[in-house]
Amino acid sequence: MSSGVNMLCFTASFGVALALEAVGLWARPRWRRLAVVAAAVAGIVAQTWYLAERASASPWAPLSSQHDWYLSAAWGLAIVYLALVLYQPRAAIGLFLLPIVLALIGAARFASTEPMAGTEMPRIWGILHGVFLMLGTIAVLLGFVAGLMYLVQSARLKNKAPLSERFRLPSLEWLERVNARSLIAATILVGLGFVSGVLMRLALRDGSGLQWTDPVVISLSGMFSWLVAAEAFRLAYPAARRGRKVAYLTLAGFVFLVITLGTFMSSKSMHGRGGENVGAGQKTVGINPTARPQRAGASSPPAEVTP
Amino acid sequence: MNLRMVGCTHRASGVDLRQQLAFGTEQTSDALARWRERFPTAEFALLSTCNRVELYAAGAGPVEAPETDELVDALLSYHGVPTKRVEGQILSLHQREAVAHLYRVAASLDSMVVGEPQILAQVKQAYQRSVDSGAAGPALHDLFQSALRAARRVYNETSLHKHRVSIPSVAIADFASRVFERFDDKHVLVIGAGEMAEETIRYLQDAGATRIHVVNRSPERALELATAWNGVAVPWERLWDELAAADLVIGATGATEPIVMAQRFERVVAPLRQQRPLFILDLAVPRNFEPEVGEQLGVYLYSLDDLAVACERNRDARAAELPAAEQIIVAETDAFMAAAHRHITGPVISGLRRNLEEPKVAELERLFKKLPDLDERSRTEITQFADRLVNKLLHPPLESLRDASQEGPPHGLLDALRRLFRLEE
Repeated sequence: MSSGVNMLCFTASFGVALALEAVGLWARPRWRRLAVVAAAVAGIVAQTWYLAERASASPWAPLSSQHDWYLSAAWGLAIVYLALVLYQPRAAIGLFLLPIVLALIGAARFASTEPMAGTEMPRIWGILHGVFLMLGTIAVLLGFVAGLMYLVQSARLKNKAPLSERFRLPSLEWLERVNARSLIAATILVGLGFVSGVLMRLALRDGSGLQWTDPVVISLSGMFSWLVAAEAFRLAYPAARRGRKVAYLTLAGFVFLVITLGTFMSSKSMHGRGGENVGAGQKTVGINPTARPQRAGASSPPAEVTP
Repeated sequence: MNLRMVGCTHRASGVDLRQQLAFGTEQTSDALARWRERFPTAEFALLSTCNRVELYAAGAGPVEAPETDELVDALLSYHGVPTKRVEGQILSLHQREAVAHLYRVAASLDSMVVGEPQILAQVKQAYQRSVDSGAAGPALHDLFQSALRAARRVYNETSLHKHRVSIPSVAIADFASRVFERFDDKHVLVIGAGEMAEETIRYLQDAGATRIHVVNRSPERALELATAWNGVAVPWERLWDELAAADLVIGATGATEPIVMAQRFERVVAPLRQQRPLFILDLAVPRNFEPEVGEQLGVYLYSLDDLAVACERNRDARAAELPAAEQIIVAETDAFMAAAHRHITGPVISGLRRNLEEPKVAELERLFKKLPDLDERSRTEITQFADRLVNKLLHPPLESLRDASQEGPPHGLLDALRRLFRLEE
């Protein structure tokens, strides 16, 4: 039975948290921090509930469709935000992170709710493929936010901007560390996601083979190649390990991610039919009722999943 | 309670006098013991810092604390300072003014740098020494505990202490902490060995810095400063190597020309640093670093002028918090004085009420016996009439007592009431 929790619930909660973060630029009443945490927790609880409902309705959920995948990524990033709010309570991290959480939810709103994987796909590889790429995306986004904050903080320090209680950012040292670790994590996770996708296709043995010309595969390959090159550059060139250089590397990683996600949503690919069956987030559950697990050899739609 | 304070502060007396009257730890204990012997019914506490020497004396009754002249004499005679020497420089306060003064001192509103945090610890220490010496009693206990409470309220309810105003504290807390997450693993290089360098090292060590290298043209002075702060003295010739290795640099030499040129920095230091963040505090006048050094990637260079702007802004922010802080002091002083007066006048008020209540009850009983036919309603009315009468009779003396208490303990009035109404002690 539906609980009545829908996308509006957690979108509104995160929106309130972002509004409260913005209020902090003008005034910092004592209750504000508590209200921010409460709004974020409310959003995460509502989103968890929503995803759990979808998971209970679908054997592949919560990563069965583009819609679910985006929401899962937003959910992961929201948890990262909550952890950072508690770890760096005075920093205005929400101003940078929450718009991305909301953007992912917005993307989910317009993303397809059709299953990305056919039922003939090996389930374990499908889950690994989706989870690794989702975690890799979170790592790239976190690195992007840390890089952006680094550049803002660095510019403020260069310009001798006074310390402001209303707009505080973490120290350059902390941001640089988060930035570098995000880049490493993103490279590994996207790599694992890519490899698990390839292995999933190879495990299929239906003769369809790897479709390297698929737009999503091309853009994901591009992003993975960039992350590997950036990490190699970072390891080989000491100056790229710190400061603005590593921030620029993660910003570029974000550009590749946007291209990949754009391709993921807009083009007709093996990862789903972009633009079709939009308007999710209401009562529809993103799973084709006919796409229940079937016995091997049973008649099934053509394979739709590659890395 | 009878409370007095005498002493000298940075507001009214020069540093010479303050130094002459200052008390070390052992001297404080000795002096407290001597004064206690001389005035056995009084309690004493002595607050001695570089900005003030203040002697607080309290007694439970009107004659149990020494007079102001006696206290001044006690303070001066310990150091053998003649009275003439301190003319016009001694501050003496009595009762409410003394309470409010201690509160303002503890809350750092009377400090030379308003809002500096060290004074609260010094006030605590002064009280603790008094306790350890057996010179403190219930009166000073209440006073100092309430002073600490008032200071905590000012700290928690205003932003007075959040805005730093000294150059080194602003440099470390407002700027360096935005570059570095922690200081215990940072290589700190101090160029110069003057007062400013030393003060900045103090703040850095408070922030956790442990690896401090001192470079100075005079190696002896470098060694002296390094030894004092558990640092390492480095020869002047190694300045450029140290610049390449450091995370945080303090320039505080008396050189008349910049000693770190941008060109040489770019040629010698920048390639070795590989854009590793470097925070430079140029606290020297004239500058020790050419301003162009700050244009290098990863270098954050702050001069005295840059920091002075932030200090001035913080000073203004503190000034804006002062009215709120003063309001807290007034409220806490009122509360303390009211409690102190209640403490003194309480037994007399209870005695007065008892003296009227007992005859009232007796007369009502006698009346009700004489008029046994009275119904319950009439009895209640008569009882209420008697209560109102007692309250109205008590009102004028209690009001007079309250008015007199505003000025201090109304010992004369209390004595008169005791005698008039034959109140038992």
